[in-house]
Amino acid sequence: MKLRRVSGVAIKAFLALVLLGHGATAATSSSGPKLPQLDLTTYPSQVFWLVISFVVLYFLVAKLAMPRIAEVLEERQERIEDDLDKAETLKKEAYQVRIEYEKALSAAREKAQDATRHAQEEIAKRSAEAESAAQVKVTVMLEEAEKRIAASKTGAEGTSGDPVSSLERSVAQEVVANAVQKLIGVDVTAADIDAAIAATLEERPQ
Amino acid sequence: MASPVDQFKLKTLVPFEVGGVDLAYTTSSLWMTITVVAVTLFLTLSMRGGRLVPGRWQSLAEMSYEFIANMIRENVGTEGRKYFPFIFTLFMFILMGNLLGMIPYSYTFTSQIVVTFAIAITIFLGVTVIGIVLHGFHFFTLFVPPGMPVVLAPLLIPIEVISYFVRPVSLSVRLFANMMAGHTMMKVFAGFTAALGILGIAPILLLVALTGFEIMVAVLQAYVFTVLTCLYLNDAIHLH
Repeated sequence: MKLRRVSGVAIKAFLALVLLGHGATAATSSSGPKLPQLDLTTYPSQVFWLVISFVVLYFLVAKLAMPRIAEVLEERQERIEDDLDKAETLKKEAYQVRIEYEKALSAAREKAQDATRHAQEEIAKRSAEAESAAQVKVTVMLEEAEKRIAASKTGAEGTSGDPVSSLERSVAQEVVANAVQKLIGVDVTAADIDAAIAATLEERPQ
Repeated sequence: MASPVDQFKLKTLVPFEVGGVDLAYTTSSLWMTITVVAVTLFLTLSMRGGRLVPGRWQSLAEMSYEFIANMIRENVGTEGRKYFPFIFTLFMFILMGNLLGMIPYSYTFTSQIVVTFAIAITIFLGVTVIGIVLHGFHFFTLFVPPGMPVVLAPLLIPIEVISYFVRPVSLSVRLFANMMAGHTMMKVFAGFTAALGILGIAPILLLVALTGFEIMVAVLQAYVFTVLTCLYLNDAIHLH
């Protein structure tokens, strides 16, 4: 950039010198200096009007233009600083809010975990209770059923014909239906049970 | 064909004479006046709205202001603030004068050596006075390069003194020569265009490029003049 400027000036200076030389040779052939800038008679007027123009411009710029520009720039600067301050406080506030939010979030998460754990424990406890109760019931029923079967066996050995009385049959039907319903959750009809009992009796060695 | 330097001739618009001294209002004076009006209008009208988010004109005015403010801050420092109005006026005056000179049929008053020299010598004297007022006799240590071996003093001090006193000449000639050479060159190419007829298209294309180049030179030279003023002021305020 600097080099280019220098070379540009050099070219121009050369051109100016050529022209000046031309002016000088022309001046020797004709009369007076050819280059108007060297005409001394114009100097007082130019300097006079230069001083007036410059002084007038100085006062116009210094007293009229510059205070206004400075005022506008200062106003803008203040506004920017103000806005930056505001942004800073808002940022701090937002940070605070975020921290609080995170605290609340972690507390809620803990609470939720607690609740889940409690619920799981409760579920496990209740299901264990229910299971043991069902176990007890089933054992009792089985024992009863076995007793009845034993009783009916002894009874059946004594009687002839139908090995199972109708009363016994109906009681057995009821017990089995109940037990099956409780154990595997299937509804069985009386006919099914009859068939099952008949099959069992058939298999039994006489 | 008119000589390419005829464009620098001054035409008297309003004759004016004081005590036998010709102080006529000429084309140069007219364009100085136009410059004053243009700078003032530019800097005031653009700021009339004073909007928080500036428009194009307001941006330009603010940019000029901040450009010079930064220039002074970087080259002179905080002590330079006092001279901000002067340097800003100087920059705007030369810049507007150079740019208005690019308008066809206008007059470029910065192409007159007497104008640039008057400005430069005023700056030179002003800066020297500031230096002497601030530092007294100590100001003359400006001519002694720091860390100079005593043996070299008889050689270096004259060089420093000469380079100091050449400042107004180099400052004024730089601006004057750039303006004059640029405008002369454009006139020469314009003359070729007129003389060549249909073939004149080639110099016209060159002239277009040259016009752009000259606008750049107009801005650049205003900047150079101002920045050198700042550097001289810095020397006077801070010595080395």
